[in-house]
Amino acid sequence: MSAIAPPVGTARPPTTAPTAQTPATAPKPPKKVGHDLSTKVLIGLVIALLLLLIGYPLARVLWNAFTADGRQVLSHIFSSDTSNPKVVLRTLILGLTVGSLGTVIGFLIAYAQVRLHYRGKKIVHLLALMPIVSPPFAVATATITLFGRRGLISHGLFGLSISPYGLGGLTFVLALSFFPVAYMNFKGMLEHLDPALDEAAQSLGARKWHIFWTVTLPMLVPGIAGSFLLLFVEAIADLANPLAIGGDYTVLASRAYIAITGEYNLSQGAAYSVVLLFPALLVFLVQRYWVSRKSVVAVTGKPAGKPQLVRSGVGRTVLLIVLGVFVALIVLMYGTVIVGGFIQSLGINNTWTLDNYRFILQGIGSEAMWKTTAMALVATPVAGVLGMLIAWMVVRKLRGSAAGAMDFIGMLGLAVPGVVVGIGYMTAYNKAFVHDGWQFFPALTGGRAIIGGALGIVLVYIIRSMPSGQRSGVAALQQIDPAIDEASTSLGASGLTTFRLITLPLIRPAFLSGLSYSFARSMTTLSPIIFITTPKTKIMTSQIFAEVDAGRFGHAFAYCTILIIIVMAVIGLINLVVRDRSPMANVGLGS
Amino acid sequence: MTSNLRRAIAATAGLLVALGSLAGCQVDDKTSADPGSAGQDDAKTELSGSLVVACGAQEDWCQAMTKAFQDKTGVQTSFVRLSSGEAVSRLEAAKSQPEFDVWHGGPADGYGQAKEKGLLEAYVSPNAAAIDSQYKDPDGWWTGVYIGALGFCSNQEILDELGVAQPQTWDDLLDPKLSKQIMMAHPATSGTAYTALWTQTVLKGSEDAGLAYMKSFSANVLQFSKTGSAPGEAAARGEVAVGVIFTHDCVKYREEGADKLVVTFPADGSGYEIGGVALVAGSQNKAAAQAYIDWALTGEAQNIGPTVGSYQVLTAPDAVTDDRMAKLADVNLINYDFAAAAAAKSELLAKFEAEVASKPES
Repeated sequence: MSAIAPPVGTARPPTTAPTAQTPATAPKPPKKVGHDLSTKVLIGLVIALLLLLIGYPLARVLWNAFTADGRQVLSHIFSSDTSNPKVVLRTLILGLTVGSLGTVIGFLIAYAQVRLHYRGKKIVHLLALMPIVSPPFAVATATITLFGRRGLISHGLFGLSISPYGLGGLTFVLALSFFPVAYMNFKGMLEHLDPALDEAAQSLGARKWHIFWTVTLPMLVPGIAGSFLLLFVEAIADLANPLAIGGDYTVLASRAYIAITGEYNLSQGAAYSVVLLFPALLVFLVQRYWVSRKSVVAVTGKPAGKPQLVRSGVGRTVLLIVLGVFVALIVLMYGTVIVGGFIQSLGINNTWTLDNYRFILQGIGSEAMWKTTAMALVATPVAGVLGMLIAWMVVRKLRGSAAGAMDFIGMLGLAVPGVVVGIGYMTAYNKAFVHDGWQFFPALTGGRAIIGGALGIVLVYIIRSMPSGQRSGVAALQQIDPAIDEASTSLGASGLTTFRLITLPLIRPAFLSGLSYSFARSMTTLSPIIFITTPKTKIMTSQIFAEVDAGRFGHAFAYCTILIIIVMAVIGLINLVVRDRSPMANVGLGS
Repeated sequence: MTSNLRRAIAATAGLLVALGSLAGCQVDDKTSADPGSAGQDDAKTELSGSLVVACGAQEDWCQAMTKAFQDKTGVQTSFVRLSSGEAVSRLEAAKSQPEFDVWHGGPADGYGQAKEKGLLEAYVSPNAAAIDSQYKDPDGWWTGVYIGALGFCSNQEILDELGVAQPQTWDDLLDPKLSKQIMMAHPATSGTAYTALWTQTVLKGSEDAGLAYMKSFSANVLQFSKTGSAPGEAAARGEVAVGVIFTHDCVKYREEGADKLVVTFPADGSGYEIGGVALVAGSQNKAAAQAYIDWALTGEAQNIGPTVGSYQVLTAPDAVTDDRMAKLADVNLINYDFAAAAAAKSELLAKFEAEVASKPES
């Protein structure tokens, strides 16, 4: 391919010829064209849906947070008389460590995948995505089994007696659980970087490391920040792992849970959750106003040619060793889960058995399997499209603070701890809205709601799983030259048509990964479900929780294995059905 | 652009339309409160409809109980498994239109909270007369169905390694050889652990003396876990030598394969929990709910527990005892005043957090 990059600052050709700007130049701000009717209707619909999905339930929780009990927590949050400041500090530390570690791991693996030459890439790719399909507790339980004080590896192999409980174990488990998000982001970005830039630098005599630091890395700043943001927010909002392996290390999410379940104090629980919103908001603002200024337009449609793969060198060896370690860890974790399903009680009573599968495939187990899958399948396309629509509006259609507000509200489903979402839905939608004998809205959650409460659960699935698609959509769109949109609009296409025919195909990899991720996320959601599950809607994750609670790890591992198989199968199907025919799209899960 | 994407967009729109169409329809006549249920004998003959149980015990326990009741009476009985706090939140959220009729299983302090918030309705079952007055609310707000005694769940293998005998008193747990070898839940997060804390208050004579014990005890504690049963799991794995838990949980882990576990009770006195059953205020099928409570207090119903691995002590005098259950006659149970324990809770927890468990952790 051509190794000649066009000079900096030349006018962009309207076609898909390779063009690029150097990192130093800010991209031309997207021109906001006056909205046509279809765009306006679409924006209105999305706003209404967001209010329904997250706005109103959250408002109900906030209402609770500002009652007397809640205000007491809020007013003492920085008072050194209580343990509250420490809880806040620990939450932030956890977010920072998991955010940084997960981003680094994700980047290293993505870089190795895209830029290095080695065998077995497909397997590494699939393994790197395993944690996404992991139900809560799986990694934590496997970690305790393997690396606990009496762990099969730490004690059995090395005679060590280390305690995994606390910040160390928690960071390890969370980074391992969430890094795939960063990996997918980086992989997509790296594949879309125009190799012409590298080639230009190379032909000017720059060394590889120099190119990496001064050309490749700066282009990835939006990806780095985006990944960090997502991991930070996921880490501070996570509940299952702090409960399972956090030990004394109490964070805001677990504190809120304790307030509700241990102290019967909903208002205090809500108040702790409200505090949790602030770090999320802060990170979000930083990302929006600092990173967006550094954003680089590097994709005008198609990347020009394939980058040259690194085949030798010290850097490559080191990176491959790091990669090997992570692959080994992941294989160990999921090997433990899979093998554990066939063992009476792994690490305690190592007898082979099929009893675990016999138990869960009978009765409630199989009912939970198909019901959970069906509800997740309904939620997935809605979440996928909604995420892309919001991303498109945020990047292309809305201005300044309106765009920021919509982006933030969309992200709330992820940033707000699951417990809070659950409580919000429970209090907001368990009664019909009735006024003067007219029903404006039926009950959506709880045992007396329509479709046995299933709609409520589907809505929770949507709001919990949509933000990741939105994030990758935003990242993808920021990399695509708005001139393409403008060209479509100036040729007379409406906003909706442009979205369908131009934007979506261009961000198809993000859409595809959004869909896959949405499904996986729905299938593995636990904490909000606890509050809205009904007799008619048995959910797999809550069954797993029940088994872990009862100490029957064999059953829990067997459930996890089946859940992983279901998610893998459906993601495979999604990739087959939403098949990619555009030339730039071998980024999704199926590549 | 594939048609699939278009279809997905259509689905989104479809959902919106569907939601919209649900709005604006005339309300069906809401079932007003059931006509006051008749006496017990009448109710038995005319049970019908369906019943939803908020179940605070293990999943398979809930499943077996509700199925047995349904088979016996023909009332469609289903359940949702909820911890006490979750049950209270859900009952509170749907106060005017409760989704549950009965609350069955789970510690009595949760029932006390629900009563305070007006979520329960008193019902003195005729079958409650046979139950020891220690194990029920005098006014019928809740009635006990099982009792769990606090004890030590030890891993014999680890005890042998450390050269420590099975603990027989609370003071045995202060042995320096057991440093970082004990696990208990945090009293703020777990009813089990709060029971242990209150037990010390009673045994040592005052809150301060109890806290002083907890302070020296905490030197041997690896961590204060979040859930009440986690210490048993940790002992089963050999993460610690001793877990302080309700002993039926320890027996359950042993039955699940952790055969190194042994149970001992503190000779100087032990606290206990009572699992309750109660009528939810505003139940939509009160007759069936009351019949369920009557049934739950019989030996016939309570005998289901041991068949699904729950070895709590049963309250019905005619319930069958099992070797794996604690023998209450052999256990020195303290005089546990649930009302006093609940009243002191928030203040005691604050002290515990300030003096014992908020120390910088290792």
